[in-house]
Amino acid sequence: MAGKGGKQSRAGDQEEEEQPLQAVLVADSFNRRFFPVTKDQPRALLPLGNVAMIDYTLEFLTSTGVQETFVFCCWMASKIKEHLLKSKWCRPTSPNTVHIITSEMYRSLGDVLRDVDAKSLVRSDFVLVYGDVVSNVDISQALQEHRHRRKMDKNISVMTMICKESSPGHKSRCEEDDVIVAMDSRSQRILHYHKTQGLKRLQFPVNIFHSGSNEFEIRHDLLDCHISICSPQVAELFTDNFDYQTRNDFVRGILVNEEILGNQIHMHVTKDGYGVRVSNLLMYDSVSSDLVRRWVYPLTPEANFVDQKGRSCTYSRHNVYRGSGVSLGHGSQMEENVLIGCDTSIGANCYISNSVIGNNCTIGDNVNLDHAYIWNNVHIASNVVISQSVVCDKVEVKTGVTLNKQCVLAYNVVIGPDISLPEGTVVSMHHPDEEEDEDDDEFLSDDAEVGHSKDKTKLKAFNPAEVGAEGKGYIWKASSLDDTEDEELSQCLWGLVLNPDIDSESEDSEPDDPDDPVIPSPETDDVKVFQMEVLGTLQRGLEENIGFDNLVLEINSLKYAYNITMKEVIQILTSVVLEYPFQQQGPQLTPAQYVALLLPLLKKWAPVFKNYVKRVQDHLDCLSAFEEHFLEQDSHWPAMVKVLMNMYQLEILEEETILRWFSQGATTDKSRQLRKNQGVRTGWCKGPGECKEGVQLKELVFFSS
Amino acid sequence: MELQAVLMAAGGGSRMTDLTYNTPKAMLPVGNKPLMWYPLNLLERMGFEEVIVITTKEVQKMMSTDPKMKLDVKMKLDVVCIQEDGDMGTADALRHIQQKIKTDILVVSCDLITDVALHEVVDLFRAHNATLAMLMSKAHEFTETVPGQKGKKKTAEQRDFVGVDQSGKRLLFMANEADLEDGLSIRKSIMRKHPRMHIKTGLVDAHLYCLKKAVVDFLADNKSISSIRGELVPYLVRKQFSKTTNCPKIKDDAEDQNQKKNDGSTNHELLISSRDEPLLQLAQDRSCWNDHRGDMSEAYHGGKLRCYVHIMDEGPCYRVNTLAAYIEANRLAPKLFEEVPVHPSAVISERCQMGSDSYIGAMCQIADKTSIKRSTIGNSTTVKEKVKVANSIIMHGVTIEEGCNIQGSVICSNAVIGRGADLKYCLVGNGQQIEPEAERTNEVIVGADQLMEI
Repeated sequence: MAGKGGKQSRAGDQEEEEQPLQAVLVADSFNRRFFPVTKDQPRALLPLGNVAMIDYTLEFLTSTGVQETFVFCCWMASKIKEHLLKSKWCRPTSPNTVHIITSEMYRSLGDVLRDVDAKSLVRSDFVLVYGDVVSNVDISQALQEHRHRRKMDKNISVMTMICKESSPGHKSRCEEDDVIVAMDSRSQRILHYHKTQGLKRLQFPVNIFHSGSNEFEIRHDLLDCHISICSPQVAELFTDNFDYQTRNDFVRGILVNEEILGNQIHMHVTKDGYGVRVSNLLMYDSVSSDLVRRWVYPLTPEANFVDQKGRSCTYSRHNVYRGSGVSLGHGSQMEENVLIGCDTSIGANCYISNSVIGNNCTIGDNVNLDHAYIWNNVHIASNVVISQSVVCDKVEVKTGVTLNKQCVLAYNVVIGPDISLPEGTVVSMHHPDEEEDEDDDEFLSDDAEVGHSKDKTKLKAFNPAEVGAEGKGYIWKASSLDDTEDEELSQCLWGLVLNPDIDSESEDSEPDDPDDPVIPSPETDDVKVFQMEVLGTLQRGLEENIGFDNLVLEINSLKYAYNITMKEVIQILTSVVLEYPFQQQGPQLTPAQYVALLLPLLKKWAPVFKNYVKRVQDHLDCLSAFEEHFLEQDSHWPAMVKVLMNMYQLEILEEETILRWFSQGATTDKSRQLRKNQGVRTGWCKGPGECKEGVQLKELVFFSS
Repeated sequence: MELQAVLMAAGGGSRMTDLTYNTPKAMLPVGNKPLMWYPLNLLERMGFEEVIVITTKEVQKMMSTDPKMKLDVKMKLDVVCIQEDGDMGTADALRHIQQKIKTDILVVSCDLITDVALHEVVDLFRAHNATLAMLMSKAHEFTETVPGQKGKKKTAEQRDFVGVDQSGKRLLFMANEADLEDGLSIRKSIMRKHPRMHIKTGLVDAHLYCLKKAVVDFLADNKSISSIRGELVPYLVRKQFSKTTNCPKIKDDAEDQNQKKNDGSTNHELLISSRDEPLLQLAQDRSCWNDHRGDMSEAYHGGKLRCYVHIMDEGPCYRVNTLAAYIEANRLAPKLFEEVPVHPSAVISERCQMGSDSYIGAMCQIADKTSIKRSTIGNSTTVKEKVKVANSIIMHGVTIEEGCNIQGSVICSNAVIGRGADLKYCLVGNGQQIEPEAERTNEVIVGADQLMEI
């Protein structure tokens, strides 16, 4: 491969300029976003502004200087082929030679490019686009940059992606396609590229900033046009990495393996120009209205760039386009941004705005259309209201029907009369269940399947409650399709609604960054962690029977690791030990059980205590932790004195300090009470305090136990 | 008075301890002027008439005797001394002088040498009613050989990542490489508001900040912040996008603050507001001006707290906090301020070869047959016959005996270089004696007690 590349570049240095620019057009989306519409017509042939989408793509390629295009078709390849053979692209005068390559084996973009490599179709840099890209971007500059880069550093740059600058929230940005890109400001090299959908925080690995440059850009204002200029290596790389399915896989793979393979991806950002991929119906909606509003100039509806006879239309102000033979009834208004195809007749008192109506449609009286996309040969009766919906070929809408937002009527459906379809209804002649048994996730040969499904549809009755009394069609439930893709929304026809405030609420929920420095004093956390660690240490010590000096050693190292003071060590140690039975057995222990469990532990750990509790202050600290513990566990007060006595006997605590603690400040009512409880017994010892106290106390506690 | 200037001159110079062992950083001679003269001069040129100088007792004493400080600085200096040994950070120092702060402040560090048009920073502060405006500069490569440094270059210091918006002014992000082990993480909402963020790494923070008075009040209540650069600035930068401060708290601000006073409770929220805040707010609402385009939201996306940075593209901007920077500054500072090469009170023999890029301080005595090139020689220094000095910095009160050859070295005050010594790329500590005929190359020569300290 390397040898081939080297030879090519040597021989092709002068030729490179003269070589005709090639393009690979993938006329398949390899997903089912447009189901059930695309069950009857491949996506590339769906009309957008009354022109098939693939024609826009081909026009874009031709106008940008492509002289040879390979169109790869899979789903309904025969229809695409038929369309292309009839179109101007296959006329002998066409500046762009179109080769149609069909195969049912293509499952992804990766398969297509592997085939490109296998057949060695491309000779030099080529343009890679999908069949549903609408664009007027001039890529010649990007191409020049790309070629320059390749000449400069020996084929390191394998791909230049074309992106358009557009702020977040722009209508032509596809929310699902939202990307964040980190790139080198100077070289425009992409360092990091990922989709942002559903993310709250964007993470960038640090190593991408080690590239030697000191200026980087993180851009969220880019709209991926899905147009890329690829080197021939791209096809080879797809062959080498058989797991690459999409361009995303490829980009990610290249970026991750950049250091190993030394391939780079660059970016060309265009400020003006239009380039959008129609990836869902929402995009279809916005691209259509952009087209009608002439943002894609010179690709405008009246230009008739596909050069079809009798398809010309006139352009008048407020962006109203009328094809030949359009008749408009009395009192009908075309407000603005309306495109009406040839031989369409519209009744009286209609109100039409922001809509596209295809050829040979008939529309009755008092029809209200807003953001409606009516394709060809549609019959709409009177008193119909349609807003932001798609109505496919040969649909019949009977009187009194209302289509709420985001409805889709697929081919040949009949709706009504007098029914209102709720928002987001999709009606199709295909029953949602029909293909589940046969082709779960495969794109089978369409002919066989369509024939088969026709048999089935006849079997099932239409539900008049769903489609009206005379209606024909089934409600298409997207959810009934069990998808193999992990993304749920890939089945949703309309796609995500752009919502610029998508996370303004989430911001409320996390008002401060977790790394806010003011409130969290790191100490508290450390103390907590330290406590957990001590508990773990003691537990392990018990299980593995570790000697006390090793326990001490471990606790000491923890003390330094978490920067804990001696006082805290003592308090935490005490409380951990006192909590230990609860920790192990749960909080429902009776005092007697508690004592029974605790006393052996105390005996075991007494050396640990003795190691820490030495000074008077230590004793008091220990006692205060003791007090705190029992203040929380007031049901266990009966156990308290036994524990205290035990600690005394084990010589963890000295009598003097016990007495001092006892007499000293009881600050709250509860602790006073606690002392009183204790006092019944300890008070006794204080009484005959004239004698030798040590003996006394020992005896005393004995008694009281 | 719109801004009060505060000069932070209490730093010990912990990154160049060899130099600052006996001389506090603020008083290190750079081009025969104490280092702190440069920021003071910057402020004076800017038109300040009064400066609060936060410093140590030691520096104060030295200031009062230094002739440059007395003669050259016409501003009124309000010197506030803080404890030398106490671990007081810059923010602690601000907290210390909170009583003196009546308006917004301009904080300058004593080790800044620059000829920046300071109004650029202040204009940003004013124009955007910013909470913080700071100065940064492109990092300069230090070209001179540093005495005692083995190898060509130390491992590069960890870089700061500074994120600015498209205009290059609004400060959106700030982090040190060391804190980014898990990768750089940015909230998506920030990217939505500022979709194009430039991340720059080759910048030096000049440690010059304009801060709202509210920030000082906030510091007074939040004792945990001790350093401006280390804690306060990152905090403010982050706080720009957190919802709590962006809430329209300002409305009931007046009552709020009264309450606060009555309660005497501490205020952990930064209240960015001033007397005429409602008026400014109204002006902003009524104006069609916007700081961004691309979406329809109001100017600044309704945020009250804003941080800006002015990045110097060219021109000198040095922070004298390392030995390398110190040497570089000595080369460039005199040119910057058009220093007279030879102080009138210096006595220089006629038969001395002196390059035009050398600077001789007051009361120097330079004997016959000497050669001085690209060097700075401090006050009251004696250079005897047949001495060659090149690319060196000689501080005050140094005696160089006959026949010495000194190249690329730094010689601290009151050192004595013995007859015929040959020093190449050495640092001679304060008051050191170099024995005659010594030959030293690439060494740091300091007293034994000083070594212990380290």
